[in-house]
Amino acid sequence: MSGTDYSYDEQGQFFPIFILTVVGIVTIPLTYSVLKPSSDPGATAPRIKSDYRPEHADLIDTQRKAQRRKDRRLKRIITVVAGWAIMAFMAYLIVVTARTIPKIWNPYDILGISDSASEREIKSHYRKLSLKFHPDKIRPDPAKNQTLESLNDYYVELTKAYKALTDEEIRNNFIQFGHPDGKQSFSIGIALPKFIITDGNGKYVILVYAALLGVLLPYLVGSWWYGTQRMSKEKVLIESANNLFREYDEAITEGGIISALSTGVEFQQSLKGEKAESGLGKLESRILAEGTASTHAGGLSAKDVMKLEDLDGGVRRKALALLWAYLGRVDLDDPALDQAKLEAAPIAHALNSSFTAIALAFGTTAPILASYLTAQNLMQAIPPGASPLLQLPHFTPAIAKAVEGDSKTHLTLQQYMDLPESYRKRLSVGKGLLTEPQYQTAVKVARQLPRLQVEKGFFKVTGEKFIIPSSLVSMVVKGRFIPPGSENVPEINELDLEDIDPEEDDLDAILGRPKKAGKGQKQPADDKPVQPPLAYAPYFTRDYSPRWHVFLTDSKQGKIAVPPFTFTTFDKPIYDENGKPTFNMQTLKAQFQAPPQAGHYTFVMHLICDSYIGFDTKMEVTLVVEDASKADEFEAEDDISEPDEDSLAGQMHALKTGAPPPAKKKKKPVDEESSEEESNTEEEVDDTSETDTDTDEE
Amino acid sequence: MFSVDWWGLVLPFCYITVLLGSLITSSSMYRKRKAAKSANLAPWFPPHLQRNIYLSLLHLEPEEGKEKAPAVPDSVLRAALLRRAQEDIFRIIQIRSAKQACSTLLQRGSVGDDLWQRFLRAEKEMEDELRDVVMEANALSPNWGQHIFQSANEIAARHIFQTRLDEIQAQTEPEKEWWEKRRASIQSEFMKELDASTSGAGKASKSASDEDTVMVESANSAGGKSKKKAKK
Repeated sequence: MSGTDYSYDEQGQFFPIFILTVVGIVTIPLTYSVLKPSSDPGATAPRIKSDYRPEHADLIDTQRKAQRRKDRRLKRIITVVAGWAIMAFMAYLIVVTARTIPKIWNPYDILGISDSASEREIKSHYRKLSLKFHPDKIRPDPAKNQTLESLNDYYVELTKAYKALTDEEIRNNFIQFGHPDGKQSFSIGIALPKFIITDGNGKYVILVYAALLGVLLPYLVGSWWYGTQRMSKEKVLIESANNLFREYDEAITEGGIISALSTGVEFQQSLKGEKAESGLGKLESRILAEGTASTHAGGLSAKDVMKLEDLDGGVRRKALALLWAYLGRVDLDDPALDQAKLEAAPIAHALNSSFTAIALAFGTTAPILASYLTAQNLMQAIPPGASPLLQLPHFTPAIAKAVEGDSKTHLTLQQYMDLPESYRKRLSVGKGLLTEPQYQTAVKVARQLPRLQVEKGFFKVTGEKFIIPSSLVSMVVKGRFIPPGSENVPEINELDLEDIDPEEDDLDAILGRPKKAGKGQKQPADDKPVQPPLAYAPYFTRDYSPRWHVFLTDSKQGKIAVPPFTFTTFDKPIYDENGKPTFNMQTLKAQFQAPPQAGHYTFVMHLICDSYIGFDTKMEVTLVVEDASKADEFEAEDDISEPDEDSLAGQMHALKTGAPPPAKKKKKPVDEESSEEESNTEEEVDDTSETDTDTDEE
Repeated sequence: MFSVDWWGLVLPFCYITVLLGSLITSSSMYRKRKAAKSANLAPWFPPHLQRNIYLSLLHLEPEEGKEKAPAVPDSVLRAALLRRAQEDIFRIIQIRSAKQACSTLLQRGSVGDDLWQRFLRAEKEMEDELRDVVMEANALSPNWGQHIFQSANEIAARHIFQTRLDEIQAQTEPEKEWWEKRRASIQSEFMKELDASTSGAGKASKSASDEDTVMVESANSAGGKSKKKAKK
């Protein structure tokens, strides 16, 4: 091995550098990922202020804390710390290890004269030295550890140095290559410590290599692969997703979804061993006890009770019972059971998102809506079909029932808050009802909840006057955040309701980049998207940022027409610094492809907030798709910027539409907005004969 | 000739055998496991009760001490087959509606491969089942196979309709009860108000009750307004 030109790192001067680099490549990106501002909504989003403490608040708090600890990515932090420790140690090694850099060959140093010495001085000095050190003259001195050979070498060095300064050729060599003998060979070093390749250690090295390649690598690849196989896209176990798919039914109700969610395999992990059965009898007797507002305390319907009782014992039955106990806010009188009850909700919420995805794949409207409502119920710990008033602190089913009176339909929060102040107070405050401070807390919370009230919804194609078949349509929803019971809500500014197209040359805006300055509209103070406050859900043990889903359904077929677009942030502030609502007009935009046939399409637009009950909007909208030729006719009157017929753009257009090229005009689009009164539900979907457009609407 | 150092080649050969051996074992183990898993997949549908009834009617065991099995009337057999076809219709509808959703969800990674395997197996089983029913029908009476599913479909549709109707009808009693109660409470309130005004119990109480009604009205109108707003 010594025969090769490779030299190993015997002094250990390079391998610290090598290890430092390798560890650094791993550690530095990891450090960034640990330190970067977390996307966790709990960290940045505002909260709805309330000093209400629900029952078992301590249990809820401990679970929230445990979750936060879990989110802190402890493993990653430990890896980063270890990485930095290794890097620091390696840096220390680099500094401490004396580096044996080959000295630069300097003839002046060897001769022991100054750099400025003249040729004569050099010559005389060399003569003196050669008299003294010539091997014939000097005797080796054993005391100084000299041998004949070393003396000889030293003399050769001296001669070389002298020649380098006097002889023309050697001097050239010195100048060119830094050495009087000409070009020096260079050696390649390997930054591995020598002990790796010394003879006896070979088998250990092979062992380590085999362990790395044969055990660790397959293990890592395998665990990654099976890890991805185990979880579905919605971050639930794939087996749970399979079960949910099997449980899907066109006619499923919210109660049915709750019982479907109990098939989740996740519950088997949280209810392991003896937890699977313990306390089931007590649990069931509690939830099936007579409730104040519903037949059962858990809020189950007769069908749900039947489903629960049809189940065999075991994890599924307990999970379902716990879910109903959570929804009914039933006190279980046992810390372990209460804990399990609170733990069940986030699991069910995650499973429900998987169920939503499944329902969306089937495309039938009713199950999709039911699954969104289930998400709201789970978030707010309210059984299906119970009063939305329970979302407010201190409200119990009995109080909600007293407030609502004997009516069959429930008061929504906004209806409740729209009641005249004194009447509302008289309904809610009293003996067996709320106390005065409790009532104030409830009203305060209600006045902070973000309810998105839709003011207008319409369709348009950016930069076009008509919507032609198969074009990319933007659905624009304009709405304001009006918390229930808001007073002095300003009138709608008509300007705000219009959606102004960006300038044609404003590429930033067209491509959806944040624009710097617009026209006509007030610009937000900063372009950062505004987060709504975290969902006010005192019983749910996770921080959750509410989401708004907008989708279109076809009411005649009961199918979804345009899948949901989800909004988590908004373009304008919702609350000012003092927490007062700003009533800014928010714009939600979603794009989809227009139908390939011209005609009037009536859709039902749903806007659903997945965290609050009773804040959903449902309205009818009509999408008017014009024949392509009709749009051309109308625009042909304009003679601005009409592409030449023989220009490329013109020909392309002629090919596309089979009509002479139209002018590309920037005008306000025809917005077909309609509320129930003006939309005609008997209208045929494929009504191509009706081609008149409602241009007079503007 | 050159001589081969066979002993020196032992090591490389060992290496190759170990490598190939481990690859082959792991691959065969993987396959076996997969096969076992797919064999153990839970069936998509629960046991087919109607089919079992039909088959047991068809192959009735002779009672003890008797030579021949009791003869099953043809009409009973036909009814059982029709029942079986009706259940098949439900299953076909389920499979047809699930197919599209299942494949898109599988592509998106929202459900697992197991489910798809189970689904495909159920689909195949259904095909066989349908063929079997048609053959049985033809055996019972010529050419019945061509329209047995048509009649089964109509029966199934009626069944669905009937259950829906029953569900709705079941609600009438509680609704009636609720309305009776509601009417009684409203009536008693009115009576109270009437009593209060006729007996002239005092101006204060009267004005208070007046105020009440006004408030209720304004509350209703406010609610109505907000509803309208929500619709717009």
